[in-house]
Amino acid sequence: MTAQANKTLRQQWMQVLARAGDALMSFETELTRSAYRKIRAPETGMVMVRGRTGGTGQAFNVGEMTVTRCVVRLDEGSTGYSYITGRNKRHAELAALADAHLQGNDQAHWMATLIQPLQLQQQQKRSQREAEVAASKVSFFTMVRGD
Amino acid sequence: MNSNDLKPAFDNPVSGSRQSFRLALKAMSEPGLSHELRLVDALDTLAPASYALALTLLDSDTKVWLSPALDTPVIRANLAFHCACPVVEQPQDADFALMLASETGVIASLNAGTDRDPDQSCTALIQLDSFEGGVPTVWQGPGIETQRQVCLPVNQAFWQTRQAVSAFPRGIDMFFIAGEQIMALSRSTQVNFQVEN
Repeated sequence: MTAQANKTLRQQWMQVLARAGDALMSFETELTRSAYRKIRAPETGMVMVRGRTGGTGQAFNVGEMTVTRCVVRLDEGSTGYSYITGRNKRHAELAALADAHLQGNDQAHWMATLIQPLQLQQQQKRSQREAEVAASKVSFFTMVRGD
Repeated sequence: MNSNDLKPAFDNPVSGSRQSFRLALKAMSEPGLSHELRLVDALDTLAPASYALALTLLDSDTKVWLSPALDTPVIRANLAFHCACPVVEQPQDADFALMLASETGVIASLNAGTDRDPDQSCTALIQLDSFEGGVPTVWQGPGIETQRQVCLPVNQAFWQTRQAVSAFPRGIDMFFIAGEQIMALSRSTQVNFQVEN
């Protein structure tokens, strides 16, 4: 939980938006209501994921992953960025739009109507998955031989 | 970098850069002919065709030098964002140099390549107001069937500087830009001032 607390508000909403996937499509009408231009149209590429063993060792390349990124500018002035995994260009564009809106004047409105529901949904999905996994947990123990 | 300075690039990055690269090749293979390159809007003091060429030719492997008139925060921010090209302070380090017609004195200090690696030379992108109104010059050489008369509005010192840096195969290739028009002058083109009969 400490990692969560150290994140800035923007990092938190970027995380929610990046994981939103198709759930973002239901907000399409609201997000695209105001006029905007694409500064960098959605484009798909690869990034090298690097890691450290135990978080402290020498950095090594885990592997490449597909990433789609997008940058949009609202006519009101704010610029939104997005980086998502996979090749869903619509998702990248909507996530960038949401980032732009969240940096504008209506931040509280967008947090309440977009980010919080999505976050709740993602948390529920996660805890449901955790519960499913926990239910199939097998505890190994050694039988004490009764002589 | 202020994200409010960012401007859009090509509508379609792939076909935009291909079209503009094809046109740059065509221009360089036929020195003295002007071609229209209308793919993007102007960027601050950078003309539309200059911006299109920059988007096409510059990337993280090409060092670029900006003349004082073109070294604005908006241009720097957009070149960094769209091309990711390093901007160098010294003109001799540059692979591409962007300048106005009044700033061509710097060509003397650009890298003209070596006899072994003439391809390592710098390419100059020179922004003019138009391709007309200068001293008439006669161009001859590869890509020109007989000769071609061009009246670029550049001063006499420019032609002297070009002469001074040219020692074939060394030399500077140049693109001239006026608004949405481009014209090339390759290092192999001979420029004379008198019309030969």
